[in-house]
Amino acid sequence: MMLRMLRQSWRRNPRRKLLAVATVFLAASLLSALMLVSIGIGDQMAKEMKSYGANILLEPAEQAVLPSLFGEGEDNPLAGQSTLQESELPNIVDIFWRNNIVGFAPLLNGEVAVDGHSVRVIGTFFDHVLAVADDPEYRTGQKIVSPYWQVDGAWPDDARAEALAGVALAGRHGWTPGTLLTVDGEALRITGILRSGGEEEEALVAPLARVQGWLDRPGRVGSVRVSALSVPENDLSRRAIRDPDALDAETYDQWYCTAYVSSIAHQLEEAVSGSIARPIWQVAASEGAIIEKIQWLLIMATCAALIAAAMGIASLMTSALIERAKEIGLMKALGAHDWRIALLFYAEAALNSVVGAVLGCLAGWGLARAIGWQLFGEALAFSWIVVPSVLLVSLFIALAGTWFPARRIVRLDPAEVLYGRQ
Amino acid sequence: MPEETRENPVAAIEARHLSRRFGSVAALDDASFAIARGEFVALMGASGSGKTTLMNLLTCLDTPSSGELRLNGVDAAGFDEEARREFRARHIGLVFQQFHLIPYLSALENVMLAQHYHSVTDEASARRALEDVGLAHRLDHLPSELSGGEQQRVCIARALVNEPPLLFADEPTGNLDAENEARVLDILRRLHGEGRTIVMVTHNPALGAYAQRIIRLQHGRIVP
Repeated sequence: MMLRMLRQSWRRNPRRKLLAVATVFLAASLLSALMLVSIGIGDQMAKEMKSYGANILLEPAEQAVLPSLFGEGEDNPLAGQSTLQESELPNIVDIFWRNNIVGFAPLLNGEVAVDGHSVRVIGTFFDHVLAVADDPEYRTGQKIVSPYWQVDGAWPDDARAEALAGVALAGRHGWTPGTLLTVDGEALRITGILRSGGEEEEALVAPLARVQGWLDRPGRVGSVRVSALSVPENDLSRRAIRDPDALDAETYDQWYCTAYVSSIAHQLEEAVSGSIARPIWQVAASEGAIIEKIQWLLIMATCAALIAAAMGIASLMTSALIERAKEIGLMKALGAHDWRIALLFYAEAALNSVVGAVLGCLAGWGLARAIGWQLFGEALAFSWIVVPSVLLVSLFIALAGTWFPARRIVRLDPAEVLYGRQ
Repeated sequence: MPEETRENPVAAIEARHLSRRFGSVAALDDASFAIARGEFVALMGASGSGKTTLMNLLTCLDTPSSGELRLNGVDAAGFDEEARREFRARHIGLVFQQFHLIPYLSALENVMLAQHYHSVTDEASARRALEDVGLAHRLDHLPSELSGGEQQRVCIARALVNEPPLLFADEPTGNLDAENEARVLDILRRLHGEGRTIVMVTHNPALGAYAQRIIRLQHGRIVP
């Protein structure tokens, strides 16, 4: 009979139900959109923030004995003393988190004579094709790892005798794109002027193989900048950073199998012999902090929307109870238990919330796609976890919104509403 | 429940010094009377005389401030809320002046609602109840599609579907035209003829004349 009452109430008195459905619908669509954005924004923002550059620096272990005292450049007195093997670089994209590796670029620093002047030179990959485990034509280099590099002119070809001149160095020597230099008896063409905001502005940046030849260090690299998609650090990762050996087996597995920058760095050390991987915390922490703040903002907005929806439903249910006081009084007069009447109202609220939540999920998906296109130029992926989550939360807010007015059912006096006292 | 004998029949309703006060106002004051089983009694009085207050007490919708009330031999004055609810569902049929039908349920479903809160629904017996009041052709109509007289007959069918021993009718023809009034009174008379105890509240002397006996109220007191 209760199902019959629910059906008939919906069929023959849809106006108020539609209002309740609309309230849940608005909250559910906002909730599902914000959830989808919240889930998708981690990956999207991480991609966006790769413009900050690499977030892990892989160095020879001996060179990194004093890791936190020096930068990655020549300030470190051990810089250039020891090297890594270029042949092991493909291992970087063969780790557990290989799909999170956006790219990497090796670096080899040194001094060479250019047209009679001693010039600092950096060997690296610009847009280098490399055979790796899953991809025989894997492309990597500074174009991917350092998207913030601004080149006036053209990027050099890794296979040719071409180079970028740092803007400060080029300014001192009057070099422009197209200038031909002689290095180690070999002609080298400047294809572009580099602005990076870093030490590269004082250097000649050339393909790694050329620099290895000039410095007579074939097959060696001084360090590797790695750009990896990671999740924000938390207490677990911070504990692991302090001392991974202090973690028990289960916690260690949890840390190892989560894309923290620290666990990726740990795996890189395992992949490249004699190396030590240091997260570049300014970048990693900024990424984590910004994503975390955005997610908090989304959570706060979602909570506000949910509270507003619960209050809206409470208001609707309260006015429904007032409007249906005689109906409730009649049910009581006929001998209905209070809980059976309350159950009817809860069931109505639940039904409204399910309808509103399903429609809200669809609308939220559309909204999230629109937000994705607007912010990132691509649609955010749909995550199925949103559907049960939104259903449950919608159900909860509908029932919570009904709870307070439903308590009035108990207090409602049938004699008062049916007859009025005399 | 006391044992009923030929010499000592249990009254359907027995009130002794029954009172109901709201604050300092005595809506019903020291009412004592008895109604035998199968009797058709009219409660009469002007507005504010205490008719509805007494009706609420007799139908277990309210509790007396003092006095004794026995319904079918059971002490109803001491009922708690759950006992009153249970007694209403099992022993009392209610007919309202305003009908109080659920607007989104059909005539049949409105009758089944009383079964639902009594025990289990039985569509066949709900149909019979509506057929008994001449509404076999209106089973699936909503209250808004029925005339006042038809709505009142649905209300009577709902009151009777669980076959309660006590039927209370509050101004049952108050909202009806003469033709429908006569039809409803015919039904009440028939039910009385079948041996049902009926208490009818009315302020209409012509209607009161249909009852076997009249209990008159004035300013909350029973008057001769």
